Amino acid sequence: MDALASLAYGFSVALTPFNLLLALLGAALGTAVGALPGIGPINSIVLLLPLCFALGLPPESALILLAGIYYGSGYGGRISSILLNIPGDPGLVMTTLDGFPLAQKGRGAAALAISGIGSFVGGTLTVVLLTFLAVPLARIAVTFGPAEYVALMTLSFTLLATIGEARPAKTWAAIALGLLLAMVGIDGGSGIERFTFGSLELLGGIDFTTLTIGLFAVSEILVVAEGLRSGTVTSYSGGERLKWSEIRACIPAMLRATGLGFFLGILPATGAAVSSALAYTVEKRISDRGTFGKGDMRGLASPETADNAAQTASMVPMLALGIPGSGTTAVLLGALMMYSVTPGPLLFTQRPEIAWGLIASMYIGNVMLLVLNLPLVGLFARLLLVPYWILFPGILGLSFAGVYAATNSSFELVLAVLLGILAYVMRKVGFPLIPLLIAFVLARLFEDNLRRAMSLSDGNPAILFQSPVAVAIWLVALAVLLVPLIAPRLRKRVAHMVDSET
Amino acid sequence: MADGAIFDRISGVLVLLLGVGAVWHGLSLEVAFAADPVGPKAFPIIVGLILLVCGASIALRPKAMAWEVGDYGRILLVALSSLVYPFILLPLGFVPATAILGFLCALAFKGRPIPALFGSTIMAIVIFALIDLGLGLGLPRGPLGM
Repeated sequence: MDALASLAYGFSVALTPFNLLLALLGAALGTAVGALPGIGPINSIVLLLPLCFALGLPPESALILLAGIYYGSGYGGRISSILLNIPGDPGLVMTTLDGFPLAQKGRGAAALAISGIGSFVGGTLTVVLLTFLAVPLARIAVTFGPAEYVALMTLSFTLLATIGEARPAKTWAAIALGLLLAMVGIDGGSGIERFTFGSLELLGGIDFTTLTIGLFAVSEILVVAEGLRSGTVTSYSGGERLKWSEIRACIPAMLRATGLGFFLGILPATGAAVSSALAYTVEKRISDRGTFGKGDMRGLASPETADNAAQTASMVPMLALGIPGSGTTAVLLGALMMYSVTPGPLLFTQRPEIAWGLIASMYIGNVMLLVLNLPLVGLFARLLLVPYWILFPGILGLSFAGVYAATNSSFELVLAVLLGILAYVMRKVGFPLIPLLIAFVLARLFEDNLRRAMSLSDGNPAILFQSPVAVAIWLVALAVLLVPLIAPRLRKRVAHMVDSET
Repeated sequence: MADGAIFDRISGVLVLLLGVGAVWHGLSLEVAFAADPVGPKAFPIIVGLILLVCGASIALRPKAMAWEVGDYGRILLVALSSLVYPFILLPLGFVPATAILGFLCALAFKGRPIPALFGSTIMAIVIFALIDLGLGLGLPRGPLGM
């Protein structure tokens, strides 16, 4: 088996003591930032990037650490949902529905355990699927030329706009804004300045760290400052332990949720929020005997499993195609680009130590997370007791230190704050931020491929529609684009189905 | 139309203006040399047109939304202290500047003054020790040398 041999090679990379340590560090940090409000995996990955460079980590080790934070955060997020009834991000709303009632009934420990197991099942089964699917997908993608890439990226933007939670026009505006922000600076093909307005500082373009910290860290702190949410920690200790029969009862729910999460996670835009909502809804239809919403284990296991499955599945397009489907994979992709590693299908043949080392580390990381999370969950839960007046100034200070360390310029700090205020206003009026980030990361690739395709054809745009594969992708994109126009009710029905559960 | 639609009207018009600006900027670029037949002008124009269409669509078909009223004093405190921070960072050095930022934000997050002062000073020193001394990523050192 081709995949198994490659996986074995990957394990030889991931099992070195140093990389094991990094995976453990990533998993533990990920759980912590997932548990804490306000920081989240996107910010932590961006903040750790300059550290990876400073420590001279090779790209595969850096990616093992950063990815550990990513899937580790999927384990940590459930803690505040279950104990505080505060979902840290939209993907976790469903976790509160049955998780919090369980904690109120004094079974917080059992609830944390079953959701940890669910996260493990969802994460691990998806890594198995990823192992066998990534290479065939990459093999198809290797044949893609610039025209197919332009089509594929357009498709991923249309998916973001159509399936995403915000109104399509607003998502498109966010995508265009991301592309626009990425254009600031000197154009590689002609040496011309674009959107610099004569500013020397803008010549090099907007730094990736600056944009991400502004968009996510600063705006999040402003949102929290506006309306302080708080809750009291429900006791997690004591209570009846999780029984085998309860785990067994949840297995079918977990398997269904994994399948759902995997397929939704591969698509851009759908990600964790939609898949956990859909998994909960489906599970409720199948198994509800009037117990859902009152502390049913299956109602907790299902969205948690789907959440982690979708998170891991969104690595598939990132690794195989070089196109990220979620905010966090966009940041991981940005990290790879900073290491001047070209993401995409060739990664598997040209830099197998990165691709397979990462995949192998995800097996190891998930086991570590299960071990970390079952006995030590109390330790992570204690993080919730950190008062906000220490936590948020700390996050802000760390974020600014990270931006300065990455860019060495106080101008970038001003930019980060201004972007943060812009992002705060965008959030208030319903413009989504994740599509903006994805578009920002993809912009260079998008424009380069567009111009390369046109170079091949001497400026004739017909080349974009010549190969059958490109035509097929364009047609799908067109269909997706037109869905909200032709069937506005369909969107509403899906939205309603999801809403009615919250 | 409910008055909640005003937010979509304003944001739509802003997006539209941004699109017009991008198209205009793209058109006004003077290209002496480009390695490819498309050049650097096309992409800003395309993106600007998307913004234009989206902005028009949002402004012309606004949806009512409720503006959740929060505590603007706190936001203002956090936003202003963050905006001032880059300007005091180099003159004061990382630790004093970050301690001031942390102190003001801690007040915004309902910290009591004395603990907030101590907490933010310690926080600034810890970050400095971690990033500058520990990892060797240079942070600005002011007159205090830190």
